[in-house]
Amino acid sequence: MDTTKTVARQWVRAQTKESHGFTAIVAACSLAGAAASLVGAWCAAQALALALATRELSLGYLGGFLAAALVQAGCAILAERFAFDAGAAARRRLRSDAMARLLAAGPAMLRGAHSGTLASVVIDRIEAVDGLFVRWLPAAMLALAVPAMVAAVVLTLDPVAGAILIGAGLLVPFAMALSGLGAAAAARSQFAAMARLQTRFLDRVSGIATIVLAGRAEAEAQALARAADELRQRTMRVLRVAFLSSAGLDCAAAVALIAIALRYGGQYADGSLASIPAALFVLLASPQFFAPLRAFAAAYQERMHATAAAEALAELPPLPPQTPPLEVRNVAAHGITIDFYDVSLSWDATRGKALDGVSFRIPAGQVVILAGPSGAGKTSIIEILLGFVRPDSGRVTFNGADIATLVPQALARLTAWVGQRPMLFAASIAENIRFAKPEATDDEVDAAAEAARVMDFAILLPQGLETVIGEGGYGLSGGQAQRIAIARAFLKDAPILLLDEPTAHLDPVTEADVLESLKRLCAGRTTLLASHATAAHAFSSRRVDLRGGRVVGTRGAT
Amino acid sequence: MNALLRIFGLWRRRWPALALGLLVSMAALLVAVAMMTLSGAMVFSLGAMAAAPLLVRLLGPGRVVLRYLERLTTHDAMFRALGDVRLWFFRGLARGAAGGIGYRRSADLLARLVNDVDALDGIYLRILIPLAQAVILLPVLIWQVGKGSLLLALAIAVLYGVAAFHLPYRAARASRAAGGRLGESVSALRVAVFDTLSGLREVRAFAAEGRMLALIQAREAALFSAQHDLAGRAARAQAGALLCGQGAILAVIVAAAFDPLLAVAAFLAVAAFEPIAGLARAGVLAGHAAASAERVIEAAESGDALPDPATPAPLPRGSALRFEGVQFRWQADRPFVFDGLTLDVPSGSRVALLGPSGSGKSTLAALALRLAAPQSGRILLGGVDIASLAAADLRGRIAYLSQATHLFDDSIRANLLLARPDASEDEMWAALESARIAEVVRALPQGLDTWVGEAGGNFSGGQGRRLALARTLLSTAPILILDEPCAGLDADTERGFLQTLNETGSGRTVILIAHRLTGVERFDRIWRLSEGRAAAAAG
Repeated sequence: MDTTKTVARQWVRAQTKESHGFTAIVAACSLAGAAASLVGAWCAAQALALALATRELSLGYLGGFLAAALVQAGCAILAERFAFDAGAAARRRLRSDAMARLLAAGPAMLRGAHSGTLASVVIDRIEAVDGLFVRWLPAAMLALAVPAMVAAVVLTLDPVAGAILIGAGLLVPFAMALSGLGAAAAARSQFAAMARLQTRFLDRVSGIATIVLAGRAEAEAQALARAADELRQRTMRVLRVAFLSSAGLDCAAAVALIAIALRYGGQYADGSLASIPAALFVLLASPQFFAPLRAFAAAYQERMHATAAAEALAELPPLPPQTPPLEVRNVAAHGITIDFYDVSLSWDATRGKALDGVSFRIPAGQVVILAGPSGAGKTSIIEILLGFVRPDSGRVTFNGADIATLVPQALARLTAWVGQRPMLFAASIAENIRFAKPEATDDEVDAAAEAARVMDFAILLPQGLETVIGEGGYGLSGGQAQRIAIARAFLKDAPILLLDEPTAHLDPVTEADVLESLKRLCAGRTTLLASHATAAHAFSSRRVDLRGGRVVGTRGAT
Repeated sequence: MNALLRIFGLWRRRWPALALGLLVSMAALLVAVAMMTLSGAMVFSLGAMAAAPLLVRLLGPGRVVLRYLERLTTHDAMFRALGDVRLWFFRGLARGAAGGIGYRRSADLLARLVNDVDALDGIYLRILIPLAQAVILLPVLIWQVGKGSLLLALAIAVLYGVAAFHLPYRAARASRAAGGRLGESVSALRVAVFDTLSGLREVRAFAAEGRMLALIQAREAALFSAQHDLAGRAARAQAGALLCGQGAILAVIVAAAFDPLLAVAAFLAVAAFEPIAGLARAGVLAGHAAASAERVIEAAESGDALPDPATPAPLPRGSALRFEGVQFRWQADRPFVFDGLTLDVPSGSRVALLGPSGSGKSTLAALALRLAAPQSGRILLGGVDIASLAAADLRGRIAYLSQATHLFDDSIRANLLLARPDASEDEMWAALESARIAEVVRALPQGLDTWVGEAGGNFSGGQGRRLALARTLLSTAPILILDEPCAGLDADTERGFLQTLNETGSGRTVILIAHRLTGVERFDRIWRLSEGRAAAAAG
């Protein structure tokens, strides 16, 4: 815990340094505003004293007061603007960095974390960092400077009042330190609770139909209510402590106000009129003494939010070192031979090996069937070829070159893939197909849709390929979603084709049609087809039989 | 505005707590004003030295304690009220989402639930409370200052009114559009991030990293632009309020030249302007909150196209299903899925529904569960039109394994118990056996408590499917509808499962939806769907 805390503290310091230019401007504007408000208070005190003593209005002081107010307002607007820019720049930087790290880590991330949790880090935690720049940094810079400025001026006018202010001011850090200790720990656990609640809700919303049809909607609502209530209690626990520091401030301010009132109340009764402008000034300026402290106390939780965000960001995988891209283009022209040499992989140490000493070869331009019951390791082999995961031991080579030396993007260029659960986005069918190759022309998209038999059903839809589908392919049957994934593979036109149960949801007629078009797609490409459909087995005489992560038989694939 | 009133209505249960918070904050405010005024009076020694003990012993500590209590009570009341809104939102969503979230996006719904509901907390804490304080303070201010000079009271009252009411109102109106944009852009960003992360496999396989990152950055830029707009408005409104407060002090100074006793009003003015300093900024928030309230209500109340009848008929004893001349299409501009479909499924029978993909096999299940209603014709359960039944009652009779059945990011146990919360350990294992997955689960070190992962991601496709199947089989409903239960299963497992299905509890109706048969199933009837009708096929 202590090391993460140190890391988080260093991170906050580093972030602050990154936006040093902005924060310096914010500080300058805020200080200028505070100085203007002191000048204003002094002008007001002089003008009031003069009015009381001589019944005269001094236009100079009144004008000074007005000008100071305008400067103060202008400075506040400017400070806020630059603080926003600083916060926005930091959020942009952090979000790009977090996304780059997640994208580099790739699909393996999803085995250990819910995408909803990761999304909440990228969105909410980073949004929370804004407060660090917009509220905490300016507040932290002014918290000492402005009270010192006010105290110095008051000290020269009236040492006793100055001493009162300084004394009250010294109470403040004491109260804050007392309450800040518990608050930091509480803030951390509160953030964790919030993230948990969000992930849970996202998961329940994606499966809401399953919940409703099982008649569990009310029970689930109650469970969510309990989770929300737990979150409230945690938040209140944080606030109860955090508000103590505000109370400490209120206390200090009240002590100062009463002490000053008692002091001047006595003097004026004595008739010592000379001290009147000073008294007025002290009374008008003393709120200026406490306002920055108040802002600092209120903003302290922003720093805790930023620290919590830092910890969450630190848990994201680091960016991998840049490896020089290996040239495979020249060899790829003649087709790619894939070799597995004694490959082992386990997703989770407690659950045994998913692959155990797997060796086989797919000759260039040939189709190899990967057969075996579900859970035999077919998908693991395909995910290795896609670069989603690296084998624990053994080597996988393309034309003799270890794929571990390829950057993920180079690997992606070489492979087209049809998975078991194709991810469809809430967009039109055409846009979903075009995802495989954004620069494709409309004709190319149409041709791919035709080849994958997407057109067969799209033609019946009101807007054809432009028909919008819902998240996860809502509005389409399982077989139709599968055909869109196949159309992506057609459009991508890569030298290696990886097909993971491409016809699992299709009826025999459509299956035959799709296999027919897949056969055309396979021509001249190195293809691995994982399937237990008998029809698919007519595809090729080469096959690898898997069982429990081991190769139990090969035909034409060694 | 109507949307905001609706939200207040939802808070009804919390009104006492909210009112208490308001009362405490009023008390805190009055003490603060009294303290400042007394201090001012003492400085000018307007016979107020006698008040000193009162000030020291009562008002000072009173103010500190009341402010602390104010913060606690108002925040606690607010969190409770927001919790209620979240719950209402989920229930509304559940009412309309038996068929799935449809064309809506889960990340957008989450944005509405989290960001938009959070935007509502400003309504009470930063708008209602300071506004109520301003309403109370204004007459006090006029009365106190008016005792000395009516003209000065008027001048201060005008400035006060501008700062407390006019500027916030203008800010709220002007920020309405930007507030709406803010809500939409947060949601758009969330959708882009969520699409990218949940589609990491596709993103990697199609080398879409750069594209997705660019999309996220573009959406983020839109969000920043909306935030920038709102922050700028807030800063300007705030500056306006500051100038009003300074203007009041100026007025007091001028007035003091005519009557020194009026000088004490300066302290009253400072104290009165302090609590409303944030109101102008809150006006911007109000615009945002109003837009958020609309988004929250819209999401919670969409859907529920098929509300229950006002007085649902009692559930019939029998469980025979009958489709009678059913005509149905999903949308007016799409072709008919069924056109005169008539089909009988007697209670306790085993029926197979075959047909190519797109022939309406899953639609038939949706109609039986009343996720959609036929345009003409009737569907009867035990002789009663299902349109006259309560949907929850009807669905209690049917256990449905759809192609989109969701596995929750929870333990295997919790996933199973969803179908039957009171199932015993033995019953769960029996269901797992029937679904041919018990062996796999038994081999796991944590057994039933193994985490399933997002959408079953810790298991292979076929294993996940079998877990979902086990959950459906665990249910005690008399009708089982299994939509392609064997998709993704290898031939051996499929045959094994279908053989178990043959032995599944007597008296239970089984409707198997498939595009082909393997030959091991035993059915009473086999129907083939084509061209919107069902035809009996040879068993």
